[in-house]
Amino acid sequence: MVINVGPQHPSTHGVLRLILTLDGEQIVACEPVIGYLHRGLEKMMERRPYRHNIPFTDRLDYLAALSNNLGICQCIERLGGVEVPERAQYIRVLLMELQRIASHLVFLGTFGTDLGATTMFLYAFREREMVLDLLEECTGARLTYNWVRVGGVPDDLPEGFGQKVLDFAKLFRQRIEEYDMLLTRNRIFRSRTQGVGVLPKETALAYGCSGPVARASGIPYDIRKVAPYEVYDRVEFDVPVFEDGDVWARYLVRMEELRQSLRIIEQVLRDMPDGPVQTKLPKIFKPPAGIAYSRVESPRGELSFMMVSDGSPNPVRVHIRAPSFVNLSVLPRLLEGAKVADLVAILGSIDVVLGEIDR
Amino acid sequence: MRDTEYNPLVYFIDGLVTLFNGMVVTWRNLWRPKVTVRYPYQRRPVPPRYRGLFYLKWNEEKQRLNCVGCTLCAQACPTDVISMVKLGKGTHAGVSEFTMDLGRCMFCNLCVEACPFDAIYMGPNYELASERRDASLFRIADLAQGGEEAVRKNIETIERLLAEEEKAKPAHAVHAAGGESE
Amino acid sequence: MIEAITQFFKQYPLLWTFVKAVVLASFTLVIPLAVIYVERKIAGFIQSRLGPLHVGPQGAFQTAADALKLLLKEDIVPEGADKRFFYLAPYIAFISTVLCFMVLPFAPGWVALEMNVAVLFIIGVSLFNVVSILMAGWSSNNKYSLLGGLRAVAQLLSYEIPMVLSVLAVVFYTGSLSLTGIIEYQVKHGWNIWHPPIMIAALIYFICALAEINRTPFDLPEAESELVSGFNTEYSGMRFAFFFASEFANNFFITAFAAALFFGGWDGPVLPPIVWTFLKVFVMIFVFMWVRWTPPRLRIDQILRFAWQLLVPISLANLLFAIALGVR
Repeated sequence: MVINVGPQHPSTHGVLRLILTLDGEQIVACEPVIGYLHRGLEKMMERRPYRHNIPFTDRLDYLAALSNNLGICQCIERLGGVEVPERAQYIRVLLMELQRIASHLVFLGTFGTDLGATTMFLYAFREREMVLDLLEECTGARLTYNWVRVGGVPDDLPEGFGQKVLDFAKLFRQRIEEYDMLLTRNRIFRSRTQGVGVLPKETALAYGCSGPVARASGIPYDIRKVAPYEVYDRVEFDVPVFEDGDVWARYLVRMEELRQSLRIIEQVLRDMPDGPVQTKLPKIFKPPAGIAYSRVESPRGELSFMMVSDGSPNPVRVHIRAPSFVNLSVLPRLLEGAKVADLVAILGSIDVVLGEIDR
Repeated sequence: MRDTEYNPLVYFIDGLVTLFNGMVVTWRNLWRPKVTVRYPYQRRPVPPRYRGLFYLKWNEEKQRLNCVGCTLCAQACPTDVISMVKLGKGTHAGVSEFTMDLGRCMFCNLCVEACPFDAIYMGPNYELASERRDASLFRIADLAQGGEEAVRKNIETIERLLAEEEKAKPAHAVHAAGGESE
Repeated sequence: MIEAITQFFKQYPLLWTFVKAVVLASFTLVIPLAVIYVERKIAGFIQSRLGPLHVGPQGAFQTAADALKLLLKEDIVPEGADKRFFYLAPYIAFISTVLCFMVLPFAPGWVALEMNVAVLFIIGVSLFNVVSILMAGWSSNNKYSLLGGLRAVAQLLSYEIPMVLSVLAVVFYTGSLSLTGIIEYQVKHGWNIWHPPIMIAALIYFICALAEINRTPFDLPEAESELVSGFNTEYSGMRFAFFFASEFANNFFITAFAAALFFGGWDGPVLPPIVWTFLKVFVMIFVFMWVRWTPPRLRIDQILRFAWQLLVPISLANLLFAIALGVR
């Protein structure tokens, strides 16, 4: 039996279509069909001056817009040799980690709903709302933040922002305990996730998986550690790594990252120096001819931007390595022999964002 | 917390216990204050930095809009949202028409950052949906702080200033300026 | 006045039964409105939301408005559907629920059809539900519906067995197959729930009841995130309303049945019996909802494994235990 999951389906997390071949409840083969959200962003970027491209990256991984902003800004900074003031770097890290929490909370909520725990969805989104409120207060937007600029951030943190973040961190630690009690420790949840969709280390490496998917398969690969950017080398945090590679491990990695993000946030707020937040740049920004590549650890994995410049105001070529795209490519392998009910668990655990896959 | 080997009874009891734990959490939440904002009746406060529909700032002191029609914002816009008609030139220049196409606007704030005259700001207005396509086109009277009235006063002030300037200038300079503008 | 009407109808037993059936059928249609409203409110409160608020005071008429909307909607039959079965399925589901209510005593004497084998009747009739779900799943010409229907049959049949066995434990313990008899026994000897074998039976019944009315963690036939809406994916308008109504009426019934079996039915101090019945039912419905909004759902193989490897043996052993204690 061939069954079409998506592009309109409650748990494909966007417009993803999966053509499943079933044998009863067993999945024999799976073929993902992507491209429903293709907007030609890379080409659009090539037609515009460098700094005009930053808002477009909001539309890539729309659950972690700030990570994308940072990625492209780092790329342009490398291309043009722009220095970033120290305070701006700290602010960037702070916002990235808040963004990571927001993004992982979406994962947590949707993953819960996929498995039938609808209440988890609303709890996770309730706390995400708090993060969004914080980010809104700082950046002025709730989803497409566009709050990283070449050479810094557009504005300093608002008054009393640090205290609000700390209050949230304190509350959120308790809430994570609650999530654990409601979902992580639940017998049914564990039965549904443990040993399901096992991704062996070799396969993960072969497919180039990154982010929580790779770390759950025993690959201790986190850009924040292996190639530290901004001030990640000055803060202390652990990279959770699990050996099992199943849905449960991927879930645990993200839960642990929530805690680690809180740790980073607290350190950053403690160490943040005063100073300017933006480097002055000329009105028309023309980087020298060359090629630049930047990579950041987005909540979904290794997000990279590559830009080629020929000295004109517009980039000649832009390429984006979207972590979701790479992680999704491993899905058919994971689904072999799984049950239909496992499909949503496995797909949910990869945590793809279609805006980034289709670009 | 990884599982031991499957044992129906252990799993069953574990299931009951953990289910009960979960129910404790949901019970606790049953009595927590609710977070719903009843939107059309209640509204969340909008933070000062909120990026909604932008507006042209009204300068009470000078009795005009701050905008001088320099098109820097239009140039900074990635999606060509802004177009404007300049009114006059020199120190007293302003705008007589300023249009923005909401259908293309990304609310990215780049126009605000580009403006050196503090003329354009992103406001708290976010209820911009409409059933008509042409309603996405905002003209100067919709954007200016103070609306229709402000636009009228703005043009009045600028025209008066321009006229005064012209009067103060020697005759040949006026001629030259007129020639240029034609 | 009421006396006179009753007297009049008592002369024509057939007509009287008919009247009672009509009253119960309307009751079966109305009670879901209340249950769904309560469910929405409780779900809302558990999830930090407010639930329906707009229609009527605190949104009390929301479900009535929804029902009205469903009745007014276009009746869509998918192309290639097996029309006879597609039309029939919701009514079978509904009728099986109404029939269950027929033998349920709400208070002393308040029973539409006094039957000395009421328990057997209920077990038999409630199984029609499975037939209707399979019919709906099969006839919709939709693969999701088919999967939902198949899951439903596997699940409901598996859980029917431990459920029946635990009900039988009560039957053997009290020595009566009539619900009125079982309740009267409890009025005399105290509620069944306080007796050890019945306690286990009640636990098993509770779990099976969750499975029987397709609630999380056993909501596989509808599993929204997997099968869109399971067996009723293709249903809309009035037919969907009937499925929905019968599901929630079933919810009400299965708790009322539990109240009769384990919690002494109408038995209780001070308040009138009918109030006690409804009180017990709504407390149990609350617990059901509370459970529903807590855990994730199981997988089909885990559900079946759980039923056959654990619930069936336990309920069998428990039945023997109950027989040993109950035979006098």
